[in-house]
Amino acid sequence: MAADRSCFPTNIHLASPNAMRMRRALRMSRRDMLLGAMGAAVVALGASRPGFAATEEADPVVPLFLAVSRRLTDRDVLDPQISHALYAGIIHANPERREQIHKLHDLMASGSFASARALASAAEHSDPVFKDVIHEIMTGWYRGVADQKVVVYRSALMFDITKDAVYPKTYAAGGPFYWTQTPPEVAVPTGEPALSPSRFVVEPT
Amino acid sequence: MPDLARKILCSVLTAGTALATLSMAPARADEPSAELLARGEYVATAGDCIACHTRPGGKPFAGGLSMTTPMGNVISTNITPDPDHGIGKYTEQEFEQSVRHGIRRDGSRLYPAMPYVSYSGMTDEDVKALYAWLMHDVKPVAEIPPATELNFPANLRITMAVWNLVAGSTTPETGDSATFDKLRRGRYLAHALEHCGTCHTPRNMMLTEKEGSYLAGASLLGWYAPDITPSKTGGIGNWTEDNLVAYLRTGHVNGLSQAAGPMGEVVEHSTSHLTDADLHALAAYILQVPAMDDDVDHTPREQFGQVLNTPDIRTGELTRIDRLDEMDGQHVYDANCAACHGDNGAGTDDHYAPSLFHNGVVGSARPDNLIMTVLHGVDRTAGNEHAFMPGFDQKSDVQRLSNAEIASVVNYVMTTFGSGNHNVTAEQVGTMRSGEATKVP
Amino acid sequence: MPSEQDLSADVVIVGSGVAGSSIANELARAGISVIVLEAGPRVDRQHFVENFRNLENKPSYQGPFPSVPWAIHPPNQMTPNDYLHTTGPDAEAYQQVYLRMMGGTTWHWAGCAWRYLPSDFELKTRYGQGRDWAVKYEDLEPFYYQAEVMMGVCGPDPAVEDLGSPRRQPYPMEALPISYAAQQFRKLVSEKTPYRVVHEPQARNTRPYDNRPTCEGHNNCMPICPIGAMYNGSYSVYHAEAAGAHFVPNAVVYKIERDSANKRVTAVHYYDPDKGSHRVTGKYFVIAAHCIETAKLLLVSADEQSPDGIANSSGHVGRNMMDHTGVQVTFISGDKALWPGRGPLETNVIDNFRDGTWRNERGAYLVHMVDDNQVDLATSLAISKGYVGRELEEQIRYLASHTVRLFSHNEGLADPDNRLTLSQTHKDVLGIPHPEVYYKLPEYTVKSCEHTRGLFRELIGLMHGTDEQWTPGYFPQDHPAGSTIMGTDPRDSVVDGFCRTHDHENLFIASSAVFSSVGTGNITLTVAALALRVADTLKKELAHA
Repeated sequence: MAADRSCFPTNIHLASPNAMRMRRALRMSRRDMLLGAMGAAVVALGASRPGFAATEEADPVVPLFLAVSRRLTDRDVLDPQISHALYAGIIHANPERREQIHKLHDLMASGSFASARALASAAEHSDPVFKDVIHEIMTGWYRGVADQKVVVYRSALMFDITKDAVYPKTYAAGGPFYWTQTPPEVAVPTGEPALSPSRFVVEPT
Repeated sequence: MPDLARKILCSVLTAGTALATLSMAPARADEPSAELLARGEYVATAGDCIACHTRPGGKPFAGGLSMTTPMGNVISTNITPDPDHGIGKYTEQEFEQSVRHGIRRDGSRLYPAMPYVSYSGMTDEDVKALYAWLMHDVKPVAEIPPATELNFPANLRITMAVWNLVAGSTTPETGDSATFDKLRRGRYLAHALEHCGTCHTPRNMMLTEKEGSYLAGASLLGWYAPDITPSKTGGIGNWTEDNLVAYLRTGHVNGLSQAAGPMGEVVEHSTSHLTDADLHALAAYILQVPAMDDDVDHTPREQFGQVLNTPDIRTGELTRIDRLDEMDGQHVYDANCAACHGDNGAGTDDHYAPSLFHNGVVGSARPDNLIMTVLHGVDRTAGNEHAFMPGFDQKSDVQRLSNAEIASVVNYVMTTFGSGNHNVTAEQVGTMRSGEATKVP
Repeated sequence: MPSEQDLSADVVIVGSGVAGSSIANELARAGISVIVLEAGPRVDRQHFVENFRNLENKPSYQGPFPSVPWAIHPPNQMTPNDYLHTTGPDAEAYQQVYLRMMGGTTWHWAGCAWRYLPSDFELKTRYGQGRDWAVKYEDLEPFYYQAEVMMGVCGPDPAVEDLGSPRRQPYPMEALPISYAAQQFRKLVSEKTPYRVVHEPQARNTRPYDNRPTCEGHNNCMPICPIGAMYNGSYSVYHAEAAGAHFVPNAVVYKIERDSANKRVTAVHYYDPDKGSHRVTGKYFVIAAHCIETAKLLLVSADEQSPDGIANSSGHVGRNMMDHTGVQVTFISGDKALWPGRGPLETNVIDNFRDGTWRNERGAYLVHMVDDNQVDLATSLAISKGYVGRELEEQIRYLASHTVRLFSHNEGLADPDNRLTLSQTHKDVLGIPHPEVYYKLPEYTVKSCEHTRGLFRELIGLMHGTDEQWTPGYFPQDHPAGSTIMGTDPRDSVVDGFCRTHDHENLFIASSAVFSSVGTGNITLTVAALALRVADTLKKELAHA
């Protein structure tokens, strides 16, 4: 069989209009162009995922990433395995992130930031590149994605926040017709954003 | 399984030999009372005659079900009141001789595929009621059961082995069975009608139920009918009477177990139709038989396991559509089981898909029933509830798993949620898939 | 040199999707020998489920299905695209996706199983627009029912909710109970507007059916139902195989051979993935290869006998490309939490605009309130707004519970200028040209979309919506139709009312390619009904042969 016959990049399918245009839109608001979405979308399939091996166990930034993540999620407890995998993905996509995460941790350590919002806001003021770093950390923990790849799916925090109402697609565990029941009410949020906004476009699927 | 017994019971009537054609038609009894007919119907249900005497897709009681016995296959017969093709010419006395003594209308012996030995325990009144109902309320079907043998596992009922081959003796009950006290009624149901021991009691070399091992557990047809004595370790000694009643009525009890395969059929065709009082009587009786510890289950089966809570760290890589590589157990589970049983094994919130921990099937030291369930799924209707899980065998429309994948996922599930890794091999699964495990030794 | 290996059957079918496999199943059960040639490979569900979970871009319906090189399918809906090349003023609106593999595109449909309305078959007669079909609703009714039984369709009791397509039998299964979100939407529409929200008929189990389980609302009909509660073509493949039909995967048909009179098809030729060539002969041939691939195959087979392609004396092969090109908006409701994403994806529809006298000037449409889990989108949105930590979590919960997505299927119209041709510049690894489509949205459809936008604005107002995100322009609904259009006149149509090509007496087409108009309901049930009617015709003709 012609299993190895070459064709167009195999993971081009990863890019839907939604994802591609969203990346484009987000990128336009950033100066950090190192990770070109278009370029990333055509990375050959052969490129293997960064595993734990890619980050030395001894990498001193690993625990710093977890510490920064705790502050930026306002959560005391985060899974260290997930943290490690997200960190590996983030620095694989952009090796400069290692230093930037280190600096973000330094910033955090230099003051007393009582909330994620306080730290994020201060960070963007001190250096706009931190906005992208923080976006990636948020995307990692909440969407479970780093390096444009899924690191965790059902364990992403966005599903933890919403577990009383909806299930991650493919994992519904309510039984047939559970969906006819009334889900919980949600109050209008009052909190303010910490970072400057980026463009966001909803695209067809 | 008790089903067997019933199947057997009914197939007695004609199994194995052609009916002689006698010219004299039996006189139809006087119009039976509604009460008698209702009782007859109930006896037929408790005896589950329909299970054996109806082939899949066939007309009720018209026979045609093939049952494997060491002597070869027996095709169940037409027990509708059709005079030429069914039992329409049987008098009540001839009927009684068949059901309780295995003697056909023409005087020859029936194959013991029908458990007349067990049925000999039936009261006169119940036999009479059964006869009346069969003759009066069952629609005559003028067809001779086809002698074709259906392939395993087209329907497990078809290949249900029949073990009641060597005659023993049962003391017949007397009097009105409806008036028995609870334990006596329970014993009557367990022995004379439901035939729990047919499946759950191990056999000796002569294929008869072992003396002193009543309900201690036995293999059949690839499934394992577990120890259901009140043993606190190997049996169901931690179940309450209400638990057992709920199980027999619905086929499942959260945190304990659920019925599939032959036991699913028993629940569907018979026990789910029993009265509350009868279920309690049956349960009470079973829960007081002598406790027999199990050879391999030393911890209550339903006490194993707990909710799994590990992150689903992924590769983020996709496989091309033609790459159908076998997956390991964890991934087979994630792809095929987790959608309903949960990534954490807890099942659905409404228990439509049961939890895999605290589950007697997964907690057993015998992987047989889990393998069979993965292969053949669950299809059990009790009351308004239709429990259904697709099978994953070579006929599945949902997903066809290889022997290695099923072995892997069974090992994964039992290790993660149950009694531990029993190192099921692809070869073992292959044997059970092909039905070889169902052959009677 | 390519190896030639002869295969032969009474009926040779190209394509194993719902059309091809259901014909194969019917014929094989009638004892007729059948070969089905499928360009793509055998596949299975479990790898798709895992692919979905590993997919970063969850809304990408093609995402979990990376194609094989010898039978590539459109990788996504982007323009430009690496396979389906679209041009023209509305090129982006015709960026259809579909799947080339065993079982076909119903691996990732949403199970919406509409019958067309009687008026959909008589658009020209009733409204002076478009074209009439060469078959009437009444002719198709029994086959609609057969298709519903085959797929396992649930739907409302016509006495309670009449969907406008007369039925002789009730739906095989009871209607699916709609979600809380859909209930609220239905209530709002019925109380505040003159319109109604109906239960959508769906090929989805509301009880165990055909050895497949009841839907448990995994909310992932597209791209992959994880438990098989929704019909897909692979079940018909399995059933046909059990009945004796012979399926050949990875068989890319590239040539249709005819007799010297050019009246009968004598064989089809296919490449295996290594470009080995194989010839398959038969008495009858059915092309059931999806609207786009079917036209492509007829055109690719052009030779001296038929310089414009097979079955193309009318010049209409590849023309009249239609779709339910739609409008989409996403917004944040200002009312109570809805929590979309509980239950199946598409369960309810506003059907008031499926038919009306206004169809003499603007196209019909239907509206879905898509019951799609919005957690991922809400998270991306909240992050882009600059939220972090506790405030981010608040936002995610709020947005995920209040996001509403509406989209429409707007009626296309047969326009010969909307045309599929063979790419002059792109070929696949086997040397077969890629398809190319010129598309300009008919004015009829544009007017329909304008009307839809008005309705959407009304609904947004009623729901106190904010943060409207309108999908720019139009977007494809992946319901391509018309490329081998049906008609009574061989001069301006490709197939007759029985889906038999006018040019070749033993060549049939089973696909939405034959649609003369595209109506509003999803096309699959009509494709299946037409296919079962083809099977019926073939059974009768082979019985007489």
